[in-house]
Amino acid sequence: MSNNSYKFNSGSEGKIDFIAFVLYLILITIGLVNIYSVTSDVNQTGFHLSAIATKQLFWIGGAALIILTVIFANVTLIDYFSYYAYIIAILLNVAVLFLGRDVNGAKSWFGFGGFGIQPSEFAKVATAMAIAKFLGTYGIKFKGWKNIGISIGIFLLPMMIILVQNDTGSALVFMSFFLVLYREGMPGYFLVSAVWLGILSIISIILEQKHVSLGYLYGTILGISSFIIYFSRKNKQISILVALVAIVSVGYSAGIGHAYQTILKPYQKDRIEIVLGLKEDHRGMGYNLEQSKIAIGAGRLIGRGFQNGTQTKMGFVPEQHTDFIFCTIGEEWGFVGVLFFFGIYVGLLIRLVQLAERQTDTFGRVLGYSVACILFFHWFVNVGMTIGIIPVIGIPLPFISFGGSSLWAFTLLLFLFLRVDQVRK
Amino acid sequence: MQDLNKDRSKVFVIIFLVILSAFIYKVGSLQLMDDHYEQKAVNNALNKITLYPARSILYDRFGKVIVSNSAMYDLLVFPKEVKNTNPAFLCQVLQIDTAEFRQRINDALQKSKKRQKNNSFNRSAIFYSDLTIQQYTVIRENLFRLKGFYIEPKTDRRYEITGGAHALGYLGEVTESVMKEDVYYQPGDLVGITGIEKYYENVFRGIKGVKTVWQDRTYAERGVVNNDAFNFPATAGPNVTCAIDIELQKYAEALLTGKRGSVVAIEPSSGEILTFVNKPDFDPNELIGQDRGKAFRRMLIDPKKPLYNRAVKGTYPPGSTVKTVLALIAMQEGVLRPETTHGCNHGYHLGSITVGCHPHGGPLDLVGSLRISCNSYYCQVFRDIIDNPKYGDVKLGYAALERHWRSFGLGSPTGIDLLGESGGNIPSVKQLDRRHGGRWKSSMIISLGIGQGEILLTPLQLANVTAIIANRGYYYAPHLIKSINGTGFLDANWITKFRTKHNTTIDPAHFETVIEGMSQVTKPGGTAVGTGVGDIEICAKTGTAQNPHGKDHSLYIAFSPRVNPKIAIAVIVENGGFGATWAAPIANLLIEKYLKPTAEPFNVAMRERMLKGVINQ
Ligand SMILES: [Zn+2]
Repeated sequence: MSNNSYKFNSGSEGKIDFIAFVLYLILITIGLVNIYSVTSDVNQTGFHLSAIATKQLFWIGGAALIILTVIFANVTLIDYFSYYAYIIAILLNVAVLFLGRDVNGAKSWFGFGGFGIQPSEFAKVATAMAIAKFLGTYGIKFKGWKNIGISIGIFLLPMMIILVQNDTGSALVFMSFFLVLYREGMPGYFLVSAVWLGILSIISIILEQKHVSLGYLYGTILGISSFIIYFSRKNKQISILVALVAIVSVGYSAGIGHAYQTILKPYQKDRIEIVLGLKEDHRGMGYNLEQSKIAIGAGRLIGRGFQNGTQTKMGFVPEQHTDFIFCTIGEEWGFVGVLFFFGIYVGLLIRLVQLAERQTDTFGRVLGYSVACILFFHWFVNVGMTIGIIPVIGIPLPFISFGGSSLWAFTLLLFLFLRVDQVRK
Repeated sequence: MQDLNKDRSKVFVIIFLVILSAFIYKVGSLQLMDDHYEQKAVNNALNKITLYPARSILYDRFGKVIVSNSAMYDLLVFPKEVKNTNPAFLCQVLQIDTAEFRQRINDALQKSKKRQKNNSFNRSAIFYSDLTIQQYTVIRENLFRLKGFYIEPKTDRRYEITGGAHALGYLGEVTESVMKEDVYYQPGDLVGITGIEKYYENVFRGIKGVKTVWQDRTYAERGVVNNDAFNFPATAGPNVTCAIDIELQKYAEALLTGKRGSVVAIEPSSGEILTFVNKPDFDPNELIGQDRGKAFRRMLIDPKKPLYNRAVKGTYPPGSTVKTVLALIAMQEGVLRPETTHGCNHGYHLGSITVGCHPHGGPLDLVGSLRISCNSYYCQVFRDIIDNPKYGDVKLGYAALERHWRSFGLGSPTGIDLLGESGGNIPSVKQLDRRHGGRWKSSMIISLGIGQGEILLTPLQLANVTAIIANRGYYYAPHLIKSINGTGFLDANWITKFRTKHNTTIDPAHFETVIEGMSQVTKPGGTAVGTGVGDIEICAKTGTAQNPHGKDHSLYIAFSPRVNPKIAIAVIVENGGFGATWAAPIANLLIEKYLKPTAEPFNVAMRERMLKGVINQ
């Protein structure tokens, strides 16, 4: 490593954060080991790389190149290119709508022979950079409807495009930027409201599905709010707020109920109902979820052993080397392996928050939180899906799932930030 | 630069940890609660393919194959997997309609659930049993199109003979109740239903093997599991040598065709059953393969009762054949000596009671009484036994008689290796008390003295009595199996059961006079004169049993040679009239066949008459 590269920047020259780097390496290794295992032959003895494991090795090699490139890059260039990267990402994601390959009903892949590139993965990186750039611009404060609107718009735009690609999972990931904005001063009630609306949605759907009139829900909400308003009638502000919340809640609930009955397609209803425990189905979505749970449950305390996960190897669990790779960890390494993996992963998340907090400028901090929040969101949705806590939404488990686009994108995302952290002022 | 929101970093860490806790809780509840997910995973990925062992091959006593195996194929299905399979092809090949197809899938679903309960990995079940060779060929070639179906080979019986079915038994599909008792069985398995096939089921069936294969989500086989605990070969049932002489068996079946009755022949020195025939009977070849159930149901309602095993279930009054035993008992009791003579005036007259006798000359001694089968003589002998002054009471006298009778294996099952054997009936003192109001005299039960009344024997018991006389006083429990794997026997229990010598209460010395009498039965002046088979000395006794439902039954017991007897035989021909008419010629022809297997019959005309003879009821 040349000393020159360090000297490029006038700030304090440190090293790439060792803890984060090691955690990253461990996660990549966990991923490779599990991909190797799940794609190996039944009864396999000795070492034999499957085609998929070989490909993953290739992707890891590519990721190493990305890391080297980023480490030797000029940080000011990163900052400088943020908007351009964003624009390029938006264009690519629009282009894929016309030029892309159809994969599982989604048009989100560029195909190159046997390989594919998913531009939506890189849109996350570019969006993180753009938001960091915007909020890091001198004089911009996360205040005023205009700046808030622009910040939200920066990630809503790619989100919408990706929704049009019919890749719901990838699109939802952009919601994680709400968390980033929360750190930057977005009022807390935004998050509280989001959680409240989520709860309302679930209750409404359960009632609709069970053919119970939503009127009970409305009555309860209005009753409680009337009660609160009566006891705080001297405080006009609270009374008005409660009344507003009640009215919005009822309206929202009615809207959800209507949307559930008329807009959602049957398979979407199925997914939601299965996760909410309203419906049992052992062949369709529910079958996959059941198989996924069986795989993890079969791991017991110490797992069934390397290459012994029949649930995953034999294809009972769908997408066993991509979106459902966590099943292999659970089945072959058991509760102990899961704890280890969670420890490493959450360790990385917390380390990223620490690193973000030690940034001396907004750009670095926003970028750090973006990385942490995107990785968190992926982990939450992916693992939550395989263990049946949230609906089946196909997004990869960062650093673990097979796939070049996501591995490269997450590596790029992580190391851009680690590079920024390395040369922080 | 001032940062008002620095504390919010803690909110992030808290969110991470809350989600982490929720995940750990959820994963823990999946992994640590119990092993039911592990069981499900094992059920998913392993398919235990049953390797059916070849069932024991049965040989006759001279090493001829009588029952062997033929390959058979079942079509099995993973019922949940066939939702999208087009039934048209299978419906056409199996000649079933779509409704039956669905019905069979549903049945298979139920069976597969039971199979699961029997601790098996396999979620498949039989869809169609016993494919024909054509069906098998077509389906095998098209199996790739039939997702969720596979073919499992197993074996069915192949009978080299058309008879012997009441001794050998037959196979049928295992019933619910049997499966409940023995987890060895799975739906569709074949088990012995009757005969030695049932009695020795646990031996004949061999031991099933298992091949455990990995299977993926589409139920495609993905290789054999590399673990010896999951794989073991099937063990064939041992080779079994039956006691039956198949040539003699066939001959007996031919002779009895057209009549109703039984033939049982025993090798006296061992208790081995040489021939075991009932008529009407059935062809075991009808009870194999696809049409097994249909044929069985037809036989079940056939008024001729082809499934009825007369030889061990049918009970008959022994008639005059019992006189041999009575004579022995009387000698043992000291109330009869060889030279004892009794007169006969066309029967036995006592007050109002008359037991008729056919006309014959002068007072007879013991030998003569057997040759001529004088009823008067045995009425007297019977009375002498139970009115014996040494007991002072008819009931005590009778009790002594009953004890002797029972020592001949009468009144209780002989213990043959068949299930459902009847013990016949030897009236007890209590039974006679009930019948005669507690007070009775020898004259009131005099008909027992000529083998009529409450005394009932199975043909097997009658043959066993003959073997006892041939042995001069002992018997081995009759059995249909000679040896296992050439020389060995089954186990200690089997040896105890069939190698224990049962002695009668009669002194061997008394037998010679009775045997002398029996040896004259086929000679001039004997009741079966004219039924002899040349120079073969036959010791025999005829019997004619009154039958309230029709013509008398024709009975005959015989053994030969007189010294070192090789065969003891009992023949009963229902409604055959005199013992000498049907039963004696059949028995004597069989003795001739057994002792001189290759010789031309001495009396060809008698053989032809027996072969062609038909008794219409
Ligand atoms: Zn007489």
